[in-house]
Amino acid sequence: MLQDPTRVEQFTAEIADMKLPDAASSRDRVLLRVGVALMIAGVVIGVVAYTLGHGTTNPLQQRDAIVIAIIGLTVAVVGGAVFLRYSMAQFLRFWLARLSWEQQAQTDRMVEAVRRD
Amino acid sequence: MSLFNGSANGERPRLGKAKKRAPTSAPAPEVDLLDDGPVPILELRGVRAGYDGIDVVHGIDLSVTAGKVMAILGPNGAGKSTTLKVVAGLLPASSGDLLIAGRRVNGARPDDLARRGLCLIPEGRGIFPNLTVRENLWMVTHGGGRDLDAVLERAVERFPPLAPLMAQTAGTLSGGQQQMLAMARGLATDPALLVLDELSMGLAPIVVDDLYARVRQVAAEGTTILLVEQFARIVMDVADEAAVMVHGRIVETGTPHDLEASLSQAYLGG
Repeated sequence: MLQDPTRVEQFTAEIADMKLPDAASSRDRVLLRVGVALMIAGVVIGVVAYTLGHGTTNPLQQRDAIVIAIIGLTVAVVGGAVFLRYSMAQFLRFWLARLSWEQQAQTDRMVEAVRRD
Repeated sequence: MSLFNGSANGERPRLGKAKKRAPTSAPAPEVDLLDDGPVPILELRGVRAGYDGIDVVHGIDLSVTAGKVMAILGPNGAGKSTTLKVVAGLLPASSGDLLIAGRRVNGARPDDLARRGLCLIPEGRGIFPNLTVRENLWMVTHGGGRDLDAVLERAVERFPPLAPLMAQTAGTLSGGQQQMLAMARGLATDPALLVLDELSMGLAPIVVDDLYARVRQVAAEGTTILLVEQFARIVMDVADEAAVMVHGRIVETGTPHDLEASLSQAYLGG
C-alpha cells in the first residue's frame, strides 16, 4: 500500500476530467433533431408549393407546384418516421433492459428451485 | 475532494499484507487509504460482457484497492480475459458499472484510459515483433514527454536481462524476454493500474517463476496490479487478494490462501 499518492491523485483527477463519449445516445439525439427538421421542412415546402400554385393560372406551373407539394409531404413523412424511431429508442432500451432483467431473475429463481430439490 | 490523504505518521494498522512489501528505492510518502475503509481504484459492479450478444461474464462484482495486487484465478474459459478487456475499455460491458478511481467510465475509449495510467499487458504480450527492443521502448516516449534514456535506464534496472538485447528484434526474443519487454514498456508509462493477462501463457515454469519474482518487485514498489492467471499456485505469494472465477461468475474472493479449497473445486469441478 505504498502507491505514490501524487500518482494516484493525478490518476483520480485525470479520470474525473475524462470526457466520456456516448456514441449511441449522441447519434440518437442528432437523428431525432434531423427528424424534427425534416418535418418542419416538409411543411414549409408544402406552404411554398401552395403559394406557387395559387399565384399562377398557368397549369404547367400549377402541376410543378403539385409535384413540389408531394415532395414536401414525403419529406415530412420521412421526418416523422425518423423522429418516431429515435424518440422511442430511449424508451425501448429501458424496456429491453427491464425484460432482460426479469428473464434473468426468473432463470435464477428456477435454478435456485432446482438446486433445492 | 481528495480520496487519498497522506497519513500523518505513516502507520497503517489494518494493512497486514503491506508489511511484506519492501520499501521503494525513492521512498514515496505513504497513502492512507483506509480512513473510511479501502478505497477501490477499480470497481466492477454487476458487470456483464460478451461477444456477439452472448454474455460470457455474468454480472461480476470486483474491487481493487490502490496499492494492492488482485488476482483473478480460474480455469480456461472462465471469462477472466474478457473481464480484463472490459477493465481496459477494449470491450464494452453489456450491463453493469465499471468504476475507475470512483468514476463510472463505461464507454471510455481504451486509449483514453491508457493515457491516464491504466496499462494492460495483454495475453500474447502485444510487443512490436519487427522492431528492436530499443525501438519498442522508444514507442513509449511518444506523446508522453518521456525521455528515452530514462525509459531505457529504468527498463534495464528492472529487467537486467534486457540490457544486452537492445538491438535485437523483439520477435526473435524468447517468450520470457518478450514478456519482460512488454512489462518494461508498460511500466515505463508509470501506470497507476497495471493489468496483466496470463503472464505465464506459453512459458516454461522456470521463466514464469522469474517473471513473477519481478512482478513481486513491481508490487513492492506500490503499483496497483490486477492480474489474471490460470495457474493459481504461481500467484499465491504475489497477490494480496484473489477472486475465483468460474463460468463467467466470481464464486469467491479472499486472500489467496483462504481460497485454496475453492480453487480445487473450480479447477476440478468438485
